[in-house]
Amino acid sequence: MSNVLHVLWVFSQLSVLGFGGGKGIIPQMHREVVEQYQWVTNAQFTQFYTIGKLVPGPTTIFAALIGYAAMPGAPVLGAAVATVGMFVPSSLIMVGSDILWDRFKASPWRAIVAHGLAPAIVGLVWASVYTISRGTAQGLIPYAITALVVVATLRTKLSAPLLIAISGALGMLLLRQ
Amino acid sequence: MSADATIPEQELKKPSLLEIALTFASISSTAFGGGQKASIRHQVTNKGWMDSDEFMEGLELAQVLPGPNILNLAIYCGQRTRQLPGAFAAFLGAGIPPFLIVLIAGALYFKYASNPYVHGALRGCAVGALGLTIGNALELTWDERDDWIKIVLLVLTAAVVGWLKMPLLLVLVIFGGVGIVHEFIKSQKKKSVP
Repeated sequence: MSNVLHVLWVFSQLSVLGFGGGKGIIPQMHREVVEQYQWVTNAQFTQFYTIGKLVPGPTTIFAALIGYAAMPGAPVLGAAVATVGMFVPSSLIMVGSDILWDRFKASPWRAIVAHGLAPAIVGLVWASVYTISRGTAQGLIPYAITALVVVATLRTKLSAPLLIAISGALGMLLLRQ
Repeated sequence: MSADATIPEQELKKPSLLEIALTFASISSTAFGGGQKASIRHQVTNKGWMDSDEFMEGLELAQVLPGPNILNLAIYCGQRTRQLPGAFAAFLGAGIPPFLIVLIAGALYFKYASNPYVHGALRGCAVGALGLTIGNALELTWDERDDWIKIVLLVLTAAVVGWLKMPLLLVLVIFGGVGIVHEFIKSQKKKSVP
C-alpha cells in the first residue's frame, strides 16, 4: 500500500509543474513512472498517452491508467489516486488564484509570464516527442503513418481522435505481429 | 440548491450547483481538445452565467496557471457563479466523466491488449499520437518564429531534457526564468520607444 503514497506524490508534483495545460510534463512523468518506479513499460506509457489523446477531456487523464497499472492489487483505487494527484493540486492553485485575481488584474505580469514560459514549454513538447517515440513501433510503415498524421495535423482540420482512429485502423491491417 | 432566492445582479443568472456539474459533465464527456474551450464559452455566455469579457479573463488565467486549461476554466466558471461550492461542482463535473471513460478504456486495454488485432491497432494508434505530437510541436514552434532568442531557448530546453534528463522543476526555473526575464526586457523596451 506504500504505492498509494508514491502514486499520489508523483502525480501531485507533476500537477503543480503542469504549466501550458500540462503539455510539458511528459518527459518527467516518463522518467518517474517508467525508469524510476517501473510501473509501466515504454510501450505501455506511449499507449496510455495515446488513449489520453483518444478520449474526451484533458490528455493528462492518462495518469489514471498509470495508477491502474501501478497498483495491480487495487487497480481502480490506483487510478483514482493518480487522478486526484494529477488534478487536485493544480485545481487548488486555480481556486486560490481566482480569489487573488482581482488584485493582479491590472498587472502586466500575467502576459509576461505566459509568453516568457512558452519557449520552455515548446522545448518540453519536443522532448515529449522523443519520449513518446521510445514506445512506438519502428520501421517504414509506422514512420509513414506518423508522417501522414503530421501532414494532416498541419494541413487539415481533422480532429485528433479521428486521426488516431485512422492510424489504429491502418495499424490493425499493417502492424499486426 | 435553488438560486431563485437571490436577486440576479446585472441580469446575470446564478446556476444551481447541479446545473454547473451537469453542464461541465456534458462538455467534458463529449468535446475534445480546443473544441472544449469554445464549447464552454458558448454554454456559459448563452446561459447568462457571465459575459464574454469575464469569460476571456478566466480563459487567460486558466492558461497561465498549471493544470489542464479546460478543467481550470470550468473551476473558474463555477467559482464566479457560485463561489467555492460552484468550483467544487465544476471540478467534479469536468473530472468524473473523463475518469470513468479512461477507466473503461483501461479495463479493456488490460483485457485485450495481447490480442493480435487489438495489439496492431494500438501500435497504429500510438504512431498516430506521435504524429499529432510532432504536428503540435511544429505549430507551437512556428508561433515563436519571430524572436530568435526564443527559438534558441526552445532548442536548448529540448536538448537538456532529452539528452541530459534535466528535472522539470529546474527546466522551468532556468529556461522559464530566462524566458520571463527576456519577455520583461522586451516589454520595457516597448514602453521606452513610443
